[in-house]
Amino acid sequence: MKIFFSALVAVLLITTTAFAGNISLEERVNKLERAIAAQGKLIKNQEAVIQSLRQGLKPEFKDGKAARRQLINGRLLPEDEDKGRLVSRIVASASRGVLGNNSRNVPGSSGFQSPPRSQSSMNPSISLNMDTFFYSTNLSDAELDAREIPGYRILNEEAGSARKEGFNLRSVELAIFAPVDPYLKLYTKIPINETGLEVEEAYFVTTALPRGMQLKGGKFKSGFGRFNAFHQHAWNFVDSPLPYLAFFGEEGLVEKGAQFTYMPALPIYTLLGFELLQGSNEVLFGDGAEDGAHAYAAFAKVSKDLGVNSTVLAGFSVAGGETKTGSIARDSEFKADSTIYGAELTYKWRPSKDKALTLQTEYLLRRQAGRYYADATDPSGVERLVRSQDGLYVQGFYQFGRWRVGARYEALDLFEDDFIKDGVNQDFGASPERMTGSLEFNPTEFTRLRLQYNYDEMARTGETNHELYLQLILGIGAHGAHSF
Amino acid sequence: MKRIIFMLSLLLFFTATPAMAALNVVATLPRIGSVARDIGGGRVEVKVLVRPSLDPHFIQPKPSMLLAVRRADILIYNGLGLEAGYLPILIESSRNRAIATGRAGNIDASRFLDIAEIIGAGALVDRSMGDVHSEGNPHYHFSPGNVLRVAGGLAAAFAVADPENAAFFKDNLEAFKAKMVEKRKEWSGASLKGNNFIAFHKLFEYLARDFSFEIIGYIEPRPGVPPSSGYIQRLVGLTKDNHVAAILTASYYGRRQARWLARETGTNIIDLPHDVGAGLTNTDEDWFEFMDRVIRAIRAIRPLSSLGR
Repeated sequence: MKIFFSALVAVLLITTTAFAGNISLEERVNKLERAIAAQGKLIKNQEAVIQSLRQGLKPEFKDGKAARRQLINGRLLPEDEDKGRLVSRIVASASRGVLGNNSRNVPGSSGFQSPPRSQSSMNPSISLNMDTFFYSTNLSDAELDAREIPGYRILNEEAGSARKEGFNLRSVELAIFAPVDPYLKLYTKIPINETGLEVEEAYFVTTALPRGMQLKGGKFKSGFGRFNAFHQHAWNFVDSPLPYLAFFGEEGLVEKGAQFTYMPALPIYTLLGFELLQGSNEVLFGDGAEDGAHAYAAFAKVSKDLGVNSTVLAGFSVAGGETKTGSIARDSEFKADSTIYGAELTYKWRPSKDKALTLQTEYLLRRQAGRYYADATDPSGVERLVRSQDGLYVQGFYQFGRWRVGARYEALDLFEDDFIKDGVNQDFGASPERMTGSLEFNPTEFTRLRLQYNYDEMARTGETNHELYLQLILGIGAHGAHSF
Repeated sequence: MKRIIFMLSLLLFFTATPAMAALNVVATLPRIGSVARDIGGGRVEVKVLVRPSLDPHFIQPKPSMLLAVRRADILIYNGLGLEAGYLPILIESSRNRAIATGRAGNIDASRFLDIAEIIGAGALVDRSMGDVHSEGNPHYHFSPGNVLRVAGGLAAAFAVADPENAAFFKDNLEAFKAKMVEKRKEWSGASLKGNNFIAFHKLFEYLARDFSFEIIGYIEPRPGVPPSSGYIQRLVGLTKDNHVAAILTASYYGRRQARWLARETGTNIIDLPHDVGAGLTNTDEDWFEFMDRVIRAIRAIRPLSSLGR
């Protein structure tokens, strides 16, 4: 616009001066020369304007190479800029030689793009799993609520806490995790159910200890045994195995504490671990048993591949501590020393993604000795109680494509069934048992539909509980890691 | 307790003395292991975690993998989300700080690629679109240019980890580059320009780009999602209308749908190796030989397609 206007002025100037009357020829020529000089100045000015406009438009063209180098640096070894620069220089020289004139050498072709991979890296990873099922049984809700495993524990300490016939929303599990800094990672697992939300786990893991050592601290699932460390939505069946239900409760051994693990560089996989735990588990330990941390767990696991498709994993675990629990019978209290031993064996054969066989078994043995009060409010009714009881589950799965069938057998009172009150062993009747069959359909990694039937005789009443579940588990958000 | 502590310290003592020798390199997938071997020569010890016959999208971690990662000086992986299901847990559980995320020994090979060379990078995606990642298509090992970049990156990374052998790695890189020049000349004869293909999965996008052919449809309606019979029916029309030269697939995908489509349309199925060593009994194939096999297999279709025209 400016240019057009000044050009118009100049033309007007020339024409008016050139055709003005009664002025000498010499004067006219002089005026014309001055006008031309003025025009020349204008043109120079306008060229400068254009130049500056052009620069404002494309400053990157001037320094495209440097920008690209920076970009590559940013994506390489973020820890050490100098190393990154060195690497990128070699990378650049490596590719230039052979690739020649490809898009890389077009100025700014990549300099204008930012690497999309780093966009959300400062936000923690978030995942959400919904766990819901339809439940059917031949027992009434009241009967379910009153259920117990006699000699072991009552199953629902609070009235109404049992699963109900019909639709159930077990939980929506929120998991948030991210590296804290170069030394620590933080994990939180927050299951939300209809009564509220809970911090099931919140722990740090070290990532920079030397020589195969690792520390974990906060509230976490103990490394005791095999089943214990799995989250509810990753369980192989809707419910936890009978020995775990009997000895630890529905949620397993989840404790505040610290864990040290060590993986020696041996020719076969070996993991050793020790945990110091608060001892809050309401079935095995109990907050009131003693002030301070009053429980521990230790475990050793080994694994070996048998050929290219098969792997076997074995482990031994022990946990112990002080107990104060009201879980044996309603209104009762049991103060004792407890030790629990576990042995596990897993075999997995997986020749391809479409075919897999998994066999898994665990044996648990718990020993306790202490004082039992049938009525917790009456200290005079004390009896000496010694319990030495065991349990086992065996389960197998066969996966074919997106389908998976499973079977499980569980029993308590296998080799030991001592419940000795003041020297007299109590007889509670037939051994608690359960048999389970399941069929799963897993259309994607993030959806699981499971049909499960339980033939449940854990209550020793002679009346079988026939249970049927249709469970749906959905996961969204960050890709959860599979575990072996 | 004392005895336990004694035994533990004994264990620590025996396992903590590393014999300084070749760099221990762990690669997730065979193609990365192959390039690492070429660049590292005899000065690195390369262990590959995943067998060539397996589908890299569905790998589960095993304790034996942990053991390998535990001993690694350098961990190299494909990146672009391909190992998301098992690598994070392996890295953390290996208790090996040398290869922890953010350390020099943790090498995402996709970071050596030019972002503009990654197909689908930065796309707005969610899981309703199937098994896709916004980081881009992870099967970049079918692209000679990309593999060259990875080789250059590895030479640099090895040089950082073992500066004394930097020149050795650089020489290997030069040899790799020279061989690439030769091979590219050889492969350039295989121009498939103008040919249309149907693929099972978005596995061959880089191959199509670098060798100028078109993939006009997929047996999977979305990545990782098996087709319905209705969808396959519609593919028949697409295949017939576009003079499709062949159906490209890999050994780990089911044959049923591809066979049906081939029969209905009179098209051939080409079973391309999906990774170095895939489908072979001896596993000492390198990336160049793998690419030879790919080119040979795809070239075999040419006369048929020109007959069709």
